[in-house]
Amino acid sequence: MTAIACQAISKSYGHYEVLHDISLTIQEGECFSLFGPNGAGKTTLLKILATLQRPSEGRYEILGLDGLKEKETIRANMMFLAHGAYLYDDLNAKENLAFALALRGQTPTDRDMKLALDRVGIGAFAEMKIRNYSAGMKKRLALAKAMLAKPKVLLLDEPFTALDTAGTEIMREYIRERLSENGAVLMSTHDHDKARPITSRAGMLNQGMLKEISLEALKSDELF
Amino acid sequence: MNFFNVIRWIVWKDLVTELRSRETISSMVFFALIVILIFSFSFSMDQQAAREVIAGIIWVAFAFTGIIGLGKSFSAELQNDCIEALQMVPESKGAIYLGKVAANFLFIFVVEILLFPMFVIFFNLDVVEEISLLLLIFFLATLGLSAVGTLFSALTVQIRAREVMLPILLLPMVVPVMIAAVEATKGALNGDPLPMYSQWLELLAIFDVIFTVVSFWMFEFVMDN
Repeated sequence: MTAIACQAISKSYGHYEVLHDISLTIQEGECFSLFGPNGAGKTTLLKILATLQRPSEGRYEILGLDGLKEKETIRANMMFLAHGAYLYDDLNAKENLAFALALRGQTPTDRDMKLALDRVGIGAFAEMKIRNYSAGMKKRLALAKAMLAKPKVLLLDEPFTALDTAGTEIMREYIRERLSENGAVLMSTHDHDKARPITSRAGMLNQGMLKEISLEALKSDELF
Repeated sequence: MNFFNVIRWIVWKDLVTELRSRETISSMVFFALIVILIFSFSFSMDQQAAREVIAGIIWVAFAFTGIIGLGKSFSAELQNDCIEALQMVPESKGAIYLGKVAANFLFIFVVEILLFPMFVIFFNLDVVEEISLLLLIFFLATLGLSAVGTLFSALTVQIRAREVMLPILLLPMVVPVMIAAVEATKGALNGDPLPMYSQWLELLAIFDVIFTVVSFWMFEFVMDN
């Protein structure tokens, strides 16, 4: 089944066209890695698919649901891990998890949260305020949130940024797990070496236009 | 059922983060204390003269103190882009609105309760007999201010000059609340019979209902755009 289907999506801010005629289909069980220079429009595309922005033209479907008309259902089945990590500095890790999942209609047990935090390697800091977390710890906590939410569609914006080697492997392991459960993943990244082992298909976004590239191309540095 | 859960969790989150940081309430109390001190030194009045002007002074202090709290309500969501997480909640945005209104109402009402004794002391007021009526007036007016203010706080949060835009947009909208609150407070402090100013309480109640319903429906549009 098709998880993500974009048809001729364009996005402009005033006269500046960020995305031009983007068409993309991602099947369940696929991980599509999106590469491109800064300002290429990767985050904008992810935000459109996350229902945070409206495309200027074109339409898209997530799990067969119209992205412009059935946002609530899409949001219940999709998760977007963005740069900001969506965490409250004055709450601790468990409280952040409980709050974020409660807004999605989920009620994880204390044990579930502890397991997820242990799995991402920050179980010892479960009671610490996020204000005192490093960027990498925040990224791991956001990953724990995704682990508990188990979304069918996962959108990741620079998932490996701020993560150390162990954190990168935990992230990749989680993505593999989602794919094995027929989930679909779309991620933007600059790091083709870290993304390659989990990438099913890849694309290069440049000057607002998307061009699919082969997995072989990820092995060389020429494109990047 | 998740609709009510979202309301509950938004209130919980706002209360817990405020209790830990004390950023909003401390700045509201500090501001209001300065206003009270300035007015108390500006006017040297006997009790009768004080009753004539004190209602206006109380609501000037409460309105501007409330705006400080309302401004922080959504600007706190900009931290770590949390506002985007609220936009992606798979539930009617009205639940977020009601949760925020409840939290804002609690902050402003608590500050009002803390500050009112200062007015009593500095302006030598005798309010023992009217206290329950005054609390009702504070309740209704604060609800109106929170209902409209929460919507405008969300509307202006992404604007660069939001600290300026919020009062500019909000104050004209809550003029009916302020007029009704001042008139009702004046009536209560003067010890007038309730029928003499009950129309102002009715106006406050009507304003609360209308603007809560209208803001509830508009909030979805504000959050999605």
